[in-house]
Amino acid sequence: MATTASTDAVPGFRGTYFGRIKNAIISIMEGMSVTLGYLLQRPITIQYPDRTPKPVKDTLPERYRGILELDMKTCTACLACERACPIGCIKIEVVKDKETKKRYITRFDIDIAKCMYCGLCVDPCPGGAIRHTNEFEGSTSDVQYLVRRFVPPGERIEPAKPKKKEKEEAGAEGS
Amino acid sequence: MTEFITEEMTLNMGPQHPSTHGVLRFQLTSDGEVIHSVKPDVGYLHRSIEKIAEKVTYHGFMPYTDRVDYVAAMNSNFAWALTVEKLGGYQVPERAEYLRVIAAELNRISSHLIMLGVMAMDIGAVTPFPYFLRERETINDLLEELCGARLTYNYIRIGGVSSDLPDGFRDRALRFLDHFEPIIDEFNRLITYNEIFVNRLANIVIIPREQAIAWALVGPNLRASGVKWDLRKDEPYSIYPQVEFDIPVGKGEVGTVGDCFDRFIVRVDEMRESSKIIRQCLDKMPEGEIQSKLPRQLKPPKGEVYVRSESARGEMGYYLVSNGGLNPERVKIRTGSFSAMAIMEEVSKGIMIADMVALISSLDVIAPEIDR
Ligand code: SF4
Ligand code: SF4
Repeated sequence: MATTASTDAVPGFRGTYFGRIKNAIISIMEGMSVTLGYLLQRPITIQYPDRTPKPVKDTLPERYRGILELDMKTCTACLACERACPIGCIKIEVVKDKETKKRYITRFDIDIAKCMYCGLCVDPCPGGAIRHTNEFEGSTSDVQYLVRRFVPPGERIEPAKPKKKEKEEAGAEGS
Repeated sequence: MTEFITEEMTLNMGPQHPSTHGVLRFQLTSDGEVIHSVKPDVGYLHRSIEKIAEKVTYHGFMPYTDRVDYVAAMNSNFAWALTVEKLGGYQVPERAEYLRVIAAELNRISSHLIMLGVMAMDIGAVTPFPYFLRERETINDLLEELCGARLTYNYIRIGGVSSDLPDGFRDRALRFLDHFEPIIDEFNRLITYNEIFVNRLANIVIIPREQAIAWALVGPNLRASGVKWDLRKDEPYSIYPQVEFDIPVGKGEVGTVGDCFDRFIVRVDEMRESSKIIRQCLDKMPEGEIQSKLPRQLKPPKGEVYVRSESARGEMGYYLVSNGGLNPERVKIRTGSFSAMAIMEEVSKGIMIADMVALISSLDVIAPEIDR
């Protein structure tokens, strides 16, 4: 409000003694009038988690980068996501059956505790097998539960066949 | 009558002090309330980000740049992308440039909102803080829709951006700006020109023009001292030459040029300018690609490059040495907060402890940006 330049020699203080008191009262009233305007409005804060009208999960935008999820049916085991992750929290193991010449995924772990939800692994996935969910409430009692294992230990899963176009893309990965 | 003997006292301010904005320690020697010297002790938040850069790929370093300055992560992303693009000569589609600038300016507003709110709170006015944060919340929501994260965006990619505008983003962004511009005036009524607040900041810790340049202050801190220097104008990158905006400088409105109040008001004015830029970008944005075709594994040619850009805290520069391999050979990051720390010792002689709190928050330092 009071934008008059300094008239007093003491640095940090402006105006006459009573002028300053007057200005202080006026500008405090001014500020109060702003806050008063909000007094009668509904509060904009909501208590989380139990007072939210809808679960927060359902209010998140489509692109929200939450905990990763994998669709084992479309994963082709191309390892592009493993290579793209800067931390190395995706671990994939693929074995080749010597007789049938078929590839099997024996391990596909994502360590959610290390993951920083950057989304770099989602971009290169040819079939969209790996993707972010809206899930973000991941607290557990033990850090080991945060390793998501998509292939149960001891089992092996046959990867999906890459479609032609995807194959080319996947081939271009290493270039 | 015995003489009253006073002694110098050494005080530790921080590492866990609410007004040091992160983990940062100041070693004060003071005589009562008057400070004789201040030694900033940085390094508590050192996370070896520069070293990590040598171990990850060029694309893979992008999420780490979010962590350099987490309050203005988009600007940090931007600087890294510009650096690698310059070294490799990679092209960026025009639409992506607009998207980058929109995102970066939204982030600049939200960063300044934090600074203004926190500064008011440090001075003792707690009320404005939630008001500022309320506006920031809307920006966070917008950016969350755009890229999926609220703080560590990882939105800008080398050679483009990760995603196009979602449906209805333009309208929501414009609605926010329509709402936000009058709100700035409301903020000014609420706190900026409050007499007590003004008296707390006017003529406090004046950094004159020459001193600011000599100590390499950057960004809003430099502009508050009356130096019209903004990389968006003076060394333009991206599409900044095509948009119109002013550079607010400190004018000594209530005191002397370069005082704490100028550092506050410069940022208030900058929010208006950013909002102008966003409006123009939303209008002018062409259709087209958002990401140029680049190999998944980038191998920029051998060489070195230094690129600087204007982040919310001033100049953010990346010095990059490449040996032609998959990982950078060396990355050095130069940030605005670090420059601001250097001047602390010089300007804080003889001020009161309470004024030092005003000084720290007016310089808008972010501890992780100092240490990296
Ligand atoms: S989101 Fe990022 S950190 Fe997490 S698994 Fe994917 S690439 Fe790795
Ligand atoms: S990138 Fe996709 S298809 Fe390839 S291994 Fe990862 S999840 Fe499977």
